[in-house]
Amino acid sequence: MQSETVNTAEGLLRELAPQVLGALVRRHGQFDACEDAVQEALLAATVQWPADGVPERPRSWLLTVATRTLIDHWRTDSARRRRETAAALDPTEGSGFESQDALVLLFLCCHPALSPPSQLALTLRAVGGLSTAQIAAAFLVPETTMAQRIGRAKQRIRDTGARFVLPPPDERAGRLGVVLHVLYLLFNEGYTASSGPALHRADLTAEAIRLTRLSHRLQPGETEVAGLLALMLLTDARRAARTDPDGSIVPLADQDRTLWDATAIAEGQALLTGTLGSGPVGPYQIQAAIAALHDEARIAEQTDWPQILALYDVLAQVAPGPVVTLSRAVAVAMVNGPVAGLALLGTLDADDRMAHTHRLEAVRAHLLEQAGHPQGARESYLRAARMTASLPEQRYLTLRAASLSDLPVRSTPAPPPSS
Amino acid sequence: MKYMIMMFGGLGASLIDRSPEWITNMQTTMMRMDRELRETGEVVDSRHLMDPGQATTVRFQNGAPAPTDGPFAEIKESLAGYWIVEGSHERAVEIASQVVAVTEYPMEIRRMMDQSAQE
Repeated sequence: MQSETVNTAEGLLRELAPQVLGALVRRHGQFDACEDAVQEALLAATVQWPADGVPERPRSWLLTVATRTLIDHWRTDSARRRRETAAALDPTEGSGFESQDALVLLFLCCHPALSPPSQLALTLRAVGGLSTAQIAAAFLVPETTMAQRIGRAKQRIRDTGARFVLPPPDERAGRLGVVLHVLYLLFNEGYTASSGPALHRADLTAEAIRLTRLSHRLQPGETEVAGLLALMLLTDARRAARTDPDGSIVPLADQDRTLWDATAIAEGQALLTGTLGSGPVGPYQIQAAIAALHDEARIAEQTDWPQILALYDVLAQVAPGPVVTLSRAVAVAMVNGPVAGLALLGTLDADDRMAHTHRLEAVRAHLLEQAGHPQGARESYLRAARMTASLPEQRYLTLRAASLSDLPVRSTPAPPPSS
Repeated sequence: MKYMIMMFGGLGASLIDRSPEWITNMQTTMMRMDRELRETGEVVDSRHLMDPGQATTVRFQNGAPAPTDGPFAEIKESLAGYWIVEGSHERAVEIASQVVAVTEYPMEIRRMMDQSAQE
């Protein structure tokens, strides 16, 4: 019961964090100093609320504490801040912009002048309301490193002279692209590390979904925001089935589909249905549509691969790239046989962008195995195992390779299937 | 006292001739031990390193740093990962022995130097 109160209080805090920060920045400027002040207010609340109970007007409570912290900071800082201090003490309330504040903050934290790691960290702190220690734990780096990263990011934002307003209309689409990419990275960061020492990173996935949901609520007309949210929900729905109790990876075709989260799938599908056709179709919506087709199949054999291939064809036109080609090769193999898939994979061999990922070799290994070339498959599995940075994936690939090593050694490769 | 327990070998190429059963047994043992040591609070940190096939070695040659593709040591002698545990030397030896009994790869135990002046 006690911990439930704490969790509810924490959820409330995290939701209020960007609102309070927005109100503070709107009134005083100085994103930098305001962000520190809000962090202190959040810390005070974390200590006081579980003991004294959640205050009647939690938002005002936080705003008062943060404002007081800001004023203390200015007073000790220097007397030349006197003018700002007087303005801060002015009791007139905010101007009704609050709902927009979280969105403005999101755009600010995903400023193109920042590196992706800084964008992720700052977004989690300023919009997500997470502490530096929590963010450091999620990214497996020491707290001092994360504190410096966040400090530099804030410094950089100050240097660019960015103001606390939404990007102008002519920049809006491009800037939204960066925001969506940051949210997408955040999701993947949590989703690809899913076992053992990295178990708590699942929180990053939940946080990415929460922030994307917020983003969608604030700009319901943006079809790609809805598409990204649908993609996350439809992908995350398979989480429980993705690893076995040992933490080993279970490939999509072998997953126990009764473990999939039906509620998340339904929400993702509804989002997608309401979005497709209502505006421009971008890569996130297409990927969500592909994820939905996988989720709809009750058993792997019912998967509508021809439809998935058709969607990959569209994706390859809208957002071409080696990763899309790779996924398309899997669909091609399912529709036209492994040999056709392998031929498409061959077009990626000379692509430098694939030189440092294990995925090309992993897919090739699967297709070679399906095509009846155990030797070649084994070598590809081992190459992929040497290239992956994910422990569960390394285990999976090594095991697949080892399972092929008991086969009798052939002097000549097996002929390709005549189909 | 903090000790670093380092494992050498056990990466990609050195697993080539092992059976799936052997690999599964090795992996489940490692994961079980890692989980148990975390639950008892003995592990301060643990990391696995990627296969050294993609490593880069930087040497000082002709008066300047010279990066070259490839690992410093042979794959059998390459560092595969480490645990940092809090406890006695005897306990660190005990942990390492349990792992070596299964993996057959050597482990090295080193006491970590005290950096408390910084903390």
